[in-house]
Amino acid sequence: MAEVGETKDPKPRSRTIPISLVQLRRLSPLFSVIALLLLWQLITSAEIYPAFIVPPPAAVGEAFREALQSGLLVKHLGVTLEEMFLGLILGLGIGLSIGYAIAKLPILEYTLSPVIVAFQSTPIVAYAPLLVIWFGSGPTSKIVTTAVIVFFPSLVNTIVAVRAVSPNLRDLMNSLNATPWQTFRQLELPSALPVVLAGLKTSATLAVIGAVVGEFVTQGSGLGFLVTSARNQYDTPLVIVTVLTMTAIALSLYSFVVLLEWRWLAWRRRSKP
Amino acid sequence: MKLSLRELVVDFRTPDQGRLPALGPISLEVLPGEFVCIVGPSGCGKSTLIRTLGGLQPATSGSVAGDDLPITRPLSTLAIMFQDANLMPWRTVIDNIALPLELAGVDKARRHEAVYELLPQLHLQDFALSYPAELSGGMAQRVALGRVIVQRPRALLLDEPFGALDAMTREKISLELLDLWRKGRQTVVMVTHDINEAVLLADRVVVMSSRPGKLVADITIDLERPRAINMIYRETFLRLAREARAAIDPPDS
Amino acid sequence: MRKILGTALISCFIFLSSLGAQADLIQERILLTFIPNIQFAPFYLGIADGHFARQGFEVTLEHLQEPDVLDLVAAGQADFGIVSGEQVILARAKSRDVVYVYEWFQEYPVGIVMISDDDGADLANLTGMTVGIPGRFGASYSGLTTLLQSAGLSEDDIELNEIGFNAPDVFCLGAVDAAVVYVNNEPLQIRDRLAAGDCGDVTGMAIVSVASRVDLVSNGLIVSADLAERDPDKVQGLVNGFNSALKATINNPAKAYLASGAFVETLPGEPEFLTLLRELAAEQEVFLATDPTREQIGESRSDMVELLANALGPDNLTQFEVLLRTIELWDADTLGHSDLSSWEAMSDTLRLMGFLSDDAPDLNAAFSNQFVTGIRE
Repeated sequence: MAEVGETKDPKPRSRTIPISLVQLRRLSPLFSVIALLLLWQLITSAEIYPAFIVPPPAAVGEAFREALQSGLLVKHLGVTLEEMFLGLILGLGIGLSIGYAIAKLPILEYTLSPVIVAFQSTPIVAYAPLLVIWFGSGPTSKIVTTAVIVFFPSLVNTIVAVRAVSPNLRDLMNSLNATPWQTFRQLELPSALPVVLAGLKTSATLAVIGAVVGEFVTQGSGLGFLVTSARNQYDTPLVIVTVLTMTAIALSLYSFVVLLEWRWLAWRRRSKP
Repeated sequence: MKLSLRELVVDFRTPDQGRLPALGPISLEVLPGEFVCIVGPSGCGKSTLIRTLGGLQPATSGSVAGDDLPITRPLSTLAIMFQDANLMPWRTVIDNIALPLELAGVDKARRHEAVYELLPQLHLQDFALSYPAELSGGMAQRVALGRVIVQRPRALLLDEPFGALDAMTREKISLELLDLWRKGRQTVVMVTHDINEAVLLADRVVVMSSRPGKLVADITIDLERPRAINMIYRETFLRLAREARAAIDPPDS
Repeated sequence: MRKILGTALISCFIFLSSLGAQADLIQERILLTFIPNIQFAPFYLGIADGHFARQGFEVTLEHLQEPDVLDLVAAGQADFGIVSGEQVILARAKSRDVVYVYEWFQEYPVGIVMISDDDGADLANLTGMTVGIPGRFGASYSGLTTLLQSAGLSEDDIELNEIGFNAPDVFCLGAVDAAVVYVNNEPLQIRDRLAAGDCGDVTGMAIVSVASRVDLVSNGLIVSADLAERDPDKVQGLVNGFNSALKATINNPAKAYLASGAFVETLPGEPEFLTLLRELAAEQEVFLATDPTREQIGESRSDMVELLANALGPDNLTQFEVLLRTIELWDADTLGHSDLSSWEAMSDTLRLMGFLSDDAPDLNAAFSNQFVTGIRE
């Protein structure tokens, strides 16, 4: 019974495509990465820039190995991850709950919008130093920076998502005497989930920026500090290793949300046989 | 369940604080187990009538009662079905049908038992774990119907339930509905814009005027049951249908 | 046809660029660190008073992060930059081939202020104290490490607190017992607040400068080794120009301050203050014509502050005083000269901090006094 959507015969056209071509397509993202690496190698081989400005891939690989072995990278990565996750949870928590409240009570939007828009349109790097003064140079200020940067997309997406809940389904829930909690759990939550998860993709990548911006402002630990520190020691390969680590965090978080979508929104992949 | 409307009036508030009369005054009594169809021009307040009976729309004046108890909020004994199948796209067929039971706190095993019992009657036994996106319009509407009857209501309020379906599917499902009704003997109030459908299904056809909707005819359908599709060619059927048609568009207009 | 068009375009271009470059001055940008600030007064005076132009340069200034200044000079993207000697040592250890050709700051500008009621300062007292520092980087961190080392202490003996560039506030709040500062700047601010009774429970301070203990190499002019080899005349020309501008600033700070107004937007400049400065600048020129000694010029600078303070009160004066304090860090019998010992001391500090390995390249190649010896006025 469950196989209805899955056991349908492959369309005749897809049978004519050679399997190698399909695999090729699946591998194509890898090609762009390889092309980038080649270009990089080419630039360093051609000595367009001195190696201390654009170090060759091998030097960066070596720096990566060293940073891993010495535990330097893991240590700072741990700090950044902790700040980032706590900030993400805080920002999401506030964004989702205020967003939900605003979606339910339009008067709140009217009241809060000047503050929220002002918060959003001010570049975080401009007031990150203030956050450091207010919340101290420890992890708190970085958690707050992350939370602030994560807050807005989650807020907006929550408002949009909850407002987009079908009024007919709301009627249905009313006609079934659903309690507010049941309406939230069985209707609003699953209905809003796709948009909220899409917002989470943005938030998750922004969270890395938030934590790193905070670390740039106060020196001490974390990947943001490691970049500055490596730069101050003229260790360009380590700078690149650290930047790539940040990229890796952002990519992993993004992929994690995609995985959540795959699991939680399985129904969206189903269509008429 | 007996349904009674007494001098019911429903007005809507307009944005400029004015009042827009939608319905009434209207009085109507539907006996337990009776199948009543409501027809009328569009915008005559048929849907408002259903929503008021269902406790979703408060009365401006007059009263609505089920078994002589006033209806002021949705009751579990009184199920509503809308024109749109209105399914939750993230729930499978069985979970959509089981929704009313789930909200009522029935445990999972019993819910599934109840739903699986219904599936064959709804011709949905092969689609239990399908998602709404995988269903045709007719199947989706069957799921919606299943969701209505699964809670074993004593009255069904159907607001143009098959309005969005093609003629063939619609005929088929209408008769399936009759079949279900024959077994359950619920009181049914069904809004439709199809006079033939109304005459074929109902014990009584109630005709409403355009806004604000009032009762202009109440036609008893004395065709024997069970009804079959070929009855529509009978003289009696045609006479009753003509009578209803005439009430909607009075010949002198 | 195409040839004619090309020729026309090229001649157009040549014409336009000849309009852009006045006379035949060489366009030259000098990369500085930090932000526009009175401490860069020699450059402002050098541009405003033609010290660079007389050597054939039209100079523009740009402010960047110190490592960026160094990399751009090392990569030949810019010819001249100002960085501290420690950056030269660190960068040379990572294969940036730059040479330090002119020692601008003769004294390392970092020091430590301590709460004290009798001006007396004993570094040994730091043990167990909370010491504020902008952060564990840059000149203040190297300076602190050197000071602690000179007193036989280490970082473990004190409680180090990262406070950003907020020393006066944090110090007056009483949140730290001592703070690492730039001796030509923050102590003046704290002094003013003490005088105004605006420094919390703190009633007095004492300063110990790094320079009073150890001779550490500080800020100076760098070029790439390639440029020094390929075009020594150009390097000599710019060194001549800067030397002349620096000397003029030391001799007549009033004039330098006036020239800085065009470059430092936030520099205080009330009309009566500027009028007085102009008078002082003119008088100073007359005085300089009498060929005074270095000591006499030093006294004349102190007289300037006294005169200004008597006429206008202490407000507005802080930036001018910063300039005079900074001049004391520049002034020497031979401007620009660098000693190997100051490089060795810095190198030792960097090793102590773990920033430099033992096999760092030869310090003798990091700097050169060749262009200082070659200065022609």
